Amino acid sequence: MNAHPTYFRILGTVALALLGFFLPRFLGGSSHVYDTLGTIASFSAMSYGLDIILSDLGEISLAHTAFFATGAYASAILSVDYGQGAWVAMAGAVLAALALALVLGLITLRTREFAFSLVTYAAAVVCMNIAANWDFLGGSDGIVGIPPLALTIGPLSFAASQPPQFWPFAYGLLLLTLYVVHRFRRSRLGQAALMVHMNPRLASMCGVDGNRVRLLVFLVSAPISALAGWLYAFQRAYVGTDLFDTYFLVLMLTGVILAGRRLLLGPLLGTALLVGQKSFFSLGAYGDKLVLGAVLVGVLCFCPKGLASLWPRAPGRALRQM
Amino acid sequence: MNIAQQLVNGIIIGHAYALVAIGWTLLLGAARLVNFGHGQIYMVSAFVAWWIMSMTGAPYVLAVVVAIAAGAVIGAIMQRLFLRLTLSQDLVNLMIATLGFGQILEGAAGLTFGPKPETLTSPLQAVTFDFGPVWFTAQDALAVGATILVFLGLHVVLNRTRFGAAVRMVAEDPPLVALYGIPISRVYISIFAFEGAAVALAATLIAPRTPILTSMGFEQVVMTFVVVVLGGIGSVGGSYVAGLLLGLFTAIFSALISPAYTTAAVFALLIAFMVLRPGKLAAGGNFAR
Amino acid sequence: MSARLQLRDLRVAYDRNLAVTIDHLAVEPGTLAAVIGANGAGKSTLINAIANWSRAAPRLSGEILIDGEAVGGKSADHLARRGVVLVPEGRGVFMGLTVEENLRAGLFAARAGGRAYSLADIYTLFPRLRERRSNLGGSLSGGERQMLAIGRALRMAPRLLLLDEPSIGLAPRLVSLLLETIRALADGGLTVFLVEQNVRAAIAVADSLYLLERGRVVASGDVAAMKDDPRIIEAYLGARN
Ligand SMILES: Nc1ncnc2c1ncn2[C@@H]1O[C@H](COP(=O)(O)OP(=O)(O)OP(=O)(O)O)[C@@H](O)[C@H]1O
Ligand SMILES: [Mg+2]
Repeated sequence: MNAHPTYFRILGTVALALLGFFLPRFLGGSSHVYDTLGTIASFSAMSYGLDIILSDLGEISLAHTAFFATGAYASAILSVDYGQGAWVAMAGAVLAALALALVLGLITLRTREFAFSLVTYAAAVVCMNIAANWDFLGGSDGIVGIPPLALTIGPLSFAASQPPQFWPFAYGLLLLTLYVVHRFRRSRLGQAALMVHMNPRLASMCGVDGNRVRLLVFLVSAPISALAGWLYAFQRAYVGTDLFDTYFLVLMLTGVILAGRRLLLGPLLGTALLVGQKSFFSLGAYGDKLVLGAVLVGVLCFCPKGLASLWPRAPGRALRQM
Repeated sequence: MNIAQQLVNGIIIGHAYALVAIGWTLLLGAARLVNFGHGQIYMVSAFVAWWIMSMTGAPYVLAVVVAIAAGAVIGAIMQRLFLRLTLSQDLVNLMIATLGFGQILEGAAGLTFGPKPETLTSPLQAVTFDFGPVWFTAQDALAVGATILVFLGLHVVLNRTRFGAAVRMVAEDPPLVALYGIPISRVYISIFAFEGAAVALAATLIAPRTPILTSMGFEQVVMTFVVVVLGGIGSVGGSYVAGLLLGLFTAIFSALISPAYTTAAVFALLIAFMVLRPGKLAAGGNFAR
Repeated sequence: MSARLQLRDLRVAYDRNLAVTIDHLAVEPGTLAAVIGANGAGKSTLINAIANWSRAAPRLSGEILIDGEAVGGKSADHLARRGVVLVPEGRGVFMGLTVEENLRAGLFAARAGGRAYSLADIYTLFPRLRERRSNLGGSLSGGERQMLAIGRALRMAPRLLLLDEPSIGLAPRLVSLLLETIRALADGGLTVFLVEQNVRAAIAVADSLYLLERGRVVASGDVAAMKDDPRIIEAYLGARN
């Protein structure tokens, strides 16, 4: 590829990123808009964690609510119980998620397909049960009183107590996540994951150690969802066992599947549609649940490759899967 | 502490687990479908029974019958929706689809029945039997008896009838079934309807023990999940034994160690089992046995 | 009287790869037609297409007529009930069912048109199956399994019996025994469409022969005439090596 298109691509990406940053203003700039977009950013970051397991490794992890919750709980404990700042909370969230992912990754190493999903599901149930009963984790009351997000970078410090102030953090995390996922897909690990997914025998003949790849992908994926949890904890100022709710799981799965797998912006678009509906066209808690479920079932039953596959000019490379 | 009473409780809970699990077991064995919407079918059936009783003043028995019919219909709808995924054996997508289906049921039930806890009352709940140190209700006895009957009945149907043979055929090799002249979607619809009807029966027999909530789907059946997997994928006899053992385990664990961590303990057990014996999860050679 | 089976412009494709192209083919009632050809020639694809059955869902076009009636688009189970009975390549019986359950499991219309062999008939035809009637399909030897698959098919009142390489993996003596049985069934009035790699055996029993190459019939006719066809001799030698 010559230099020109690359140059334009970078410019285009930067322009798009800037546009995205000012999106809340274009949408009216109300607190509600900021709040919604902030939620979209953190939930889609959460979905990206699952996305690389689901789209690249081809397995369905039902434990990502646990990673999300781990990030949130670690942040809450560090900032409320230990009075630590947001950076420390962030590091804690990542480390805790890595530890959990390592344990889970080792446990699930030999399981495939629905055995993998069942084990990860069971793990999520165990985590929830522990969170609901262990006082250190706040028990069934959860942990309240998380201070507003405040980050210091050198001489600069940012604090966010209102949704508009929170937005840059959420947006920054989203961009970071997108960058990581993009880089992951181009990395040797990402390629290896795809190979292990598409053709495990060929992969092992090429000297790719399937189990090692699976474990590493798990370790890349968990902190992404955990960072989303970190952000969400500050955004809501409260963590509780509802973080393990099936709602989040279904949201993540639908977000990933709705637009189409292995599309970089897929989970973002999927999540944006779902959260946007809930936020601007809400049918009440039950109605929203119904919509979410119906979207998931509808996509899987009638358009299992995602909405993007209905797009006539959809790039074949990105859509090719399984 | 009263060990005898704990054992009795364990037996009752164990049968309840097994009864809730039976439809799912068949579904998993025959259609390889992990149904995460199972709990919501349980919840909806309990609410249908409650609604019939409180709206029309119908007797409990009638409510049970209507709820079973409703469960069967839900199962059939599910089959219609998932037929393509089932036929192509897209197991992983199927599993996610059932999660979505559960959300639909939960949302719809919330809109219809509201967020308040309700009570499904059975006249048998008030009848108690005392035998020295142990006691139980007539409702408990009914649940245990019904469980045994359902398991025996299913065992006979699967192993002694042509229909049962068709179910086993579908479980083994779906495409080949067509060459025997058997329309596979009919077999699937029966299996799904059975799943719905069986969990509805379980709901009407077991839900009177506790208040019912539209959000209860998950907790009510989370143990079922363990029964289904530990019993051996799709093994009918296995899930009876697994249910019973699990009932005893939870009763004793919660009495002796910690009621709060029972679920975690059971699931840890499950994880250990699945990790140590992943082969057990492969295609069910012992299906229907 | 019209042909039992007629194919017109039949095309079968996997994705974009055309696997079978048959412009015209007809099998008369009560005869035994055999299709021979190398590995990958399209024999299984063809015979499966007639029964509208496959594990891989290829695309079909063209006309398939059974006794003059167009059956294209009818589902495999419908065709099976109406007497178009296929014994597929490889695994054709249920391992988890006993021999007798396998024989009883088939559903067929009483007026399918063919003769429905009774269990006793089948046990007479294949005495081995009687001995093993309560054994599981999975515990049978390859030959027994093939007998069971054919027995199951005969139970279903076939008008047209489609057999895909029934002799595969059998000892030579068993091959000829099995094919002689099939020949006897045809003599009894059954129409058989047989795919066979063992050309010598096919020539020994068939009435007519089709040589398939890359999905096309390159030679066909009565066995008597085809026997000395150089292409057949070539294919036969090819099959031997
Ligand atoms: N499921 C499939 N997907 C794609 N192509 C297929 C499939 N099955 C068969 N083919 C192709 O169709 C062609 C015909 O295959 P077919 O199985 O009909 O051959 P055959 O004559 O029965 O061979 P054999 O003697 O080995 O059984 C082959 O080129 C094969 O590669
Ligand atoms: Mg073949």
